[in-house]
Amino acid sequence: MRIAVVLGFLLLGAYLIAVLEAWLATGRLRLAAPGWAAMALLGRESVVPRQPDRLFFETAPVLLLIAALLAAAVLPLAPGLFITNLATGALFVNAALAYVLVALLMAGWGPDGAYALIGGWRFLGQLIAYSMLIVMPITAVAMRAESLLTTDIVASQAGLWNILYQPLGFVLFFLAAMGVAFLPPFDLPSAEGELAGGVTGEYTGVRLAVFRLGRLVLVITLSAATVVFYLGGWLGPVLPPWAWSAVKILAVSAAMLSIGHYLPRIREAHLLAWCWKLGIPLALLNIFIVGILVLVWP
Amino acid sequence: MAVITLQTFFIALFGIAALWFGVVVFRTSSMMRSALALLFSQTALGAMFLAMQAEFLGVLQIMMMATEMSIMAIFMVMFMMDPGGLGEMEMTHQKRLSIAAGVIGALAVSGVALFAHWGPVTTVAPAAAEQIRGLGTELLGRSMIIFETAGVTILTAMIAATAVAMPALQRKKTA
Repeated sequence: MRIAVVLGFLLLGAYLIAVLEAWLATGRLRLAAPGWAAMALLGRESVVPRQPDRLFFETAPVLLLIAALLAAAVLPLAPGLFITNLATGALFVNAALAYVLVALLMAGWGPDGAYALIGGWRFLGQLIAYSMLIVMPITAVAMRAESLLTTDIVASQAGLWNILYQPLGFVLFFLAAMGVAFLPPFDLPSAEGELAGGVTGEYTGVRLAVFRLGRLVLVITLSAATVVFYLGGWLGPVLPPWAWSAVKILAVSAAMLSIGHYLPRIREAHLLAWCWKLGIPLALLNIFIVGILVLVWP
Repeated sequence: MAVITLQTFFIALFGIAALWFGVVVFRTSSMMRSALALLFSQTALGAMFLAMQAEFLGVLQIMMMATEMSIMAIFMVMFMMDPGGLGEMEMTHQKRLSIAAGVIGALAVSGVALFAHWGPVTTVAPAAAEQIRGLGTELLGRSMIIFETAGVTILTAMIAATAVAMPALQRKKTA
């Protein structure tokens, strides 16, 4: 039952994100747009390119969806409302997200297309930029909670949310999360207009539908992770816990999508330079500050 | 007679998967397939840790290997002359020596596994949270020197590799 509720929540979230994405792209709010888009995709022929690495080509979209779902499995939406509560929860989120890279590399290599290949390798470079900025802020969050259990992390924010306790970590994690979900301005692997879709470029029909669904669930999962780690999870007055989680997750997703809408795509070299020369020192500083704060004012 | 529990079944299953993917590494000519087969072999090892109730080690293994093997893949693709394996290039060499080394290595490892004195075996694994706490204390206690030395060595290698990779001209400009 719990599993069904969480999966239903993720699907509903993916639908709302799709509506929002279409709204930002076209300027018109159409609630039926994702439905029509899905029907169009499912009705279309799913072309297999010439001489593909068939195994990778078929696995990639499914692996992307599975990675996003696995990461979501340890994120609580309300007390008791999670798929599983692992003692290594915060680390497990990161482990599952690492397979997003594997999925995109497969999608890049599989179809035997130049643009897709470039997109796949680009995402490898992107991972080298963002991965430390996912792990190090999570470390600081776990330091305050003195636990890797995601439910403990939410409970540790009862007095003060982590967004106020460690704002630096929040900014770094938020940006890195946009990098994981390859949302603009970090959409280097898919880069419409530059790589003609990149990793998604050779996918059509039902395979593209699975790929898009995986990406939407990934956005929801990363928003949920941001909410659990920094925005006090289900905590909040008046409304029931699940409603607070839903409101916060949707707000974070909307922020992620709309920020990208107003920024130009960043260059790979610039992304790497900023993340390593600025991001990692700041993440270390964040760990240091939180270390002192935990001792002085837990 | 030992009773086959669900736990032993899964340990064996993931073990066989790890071995099978290990074999696939050498059976394919595509560098990408080879690298990702090694990844899934290592992921199966991580799953074995999970089945053995060593949750932290399992999750860590599964996480680290995904990025490490992917990075290895790009180097394999860069350095091999036929990365896709479509040209049917012969990629193996020194076959007899490799087979001999492989067999001797496997025998040595099996010998150690079977005949070494492993000390008392824990009958009940401690709870996952307790294991994490135990690992943390270990890393900041007895094993601190080993881990810090390894960390600093890797950092030195990274800095050295970056310095070597910078073209001479650029080095002059920055100097």
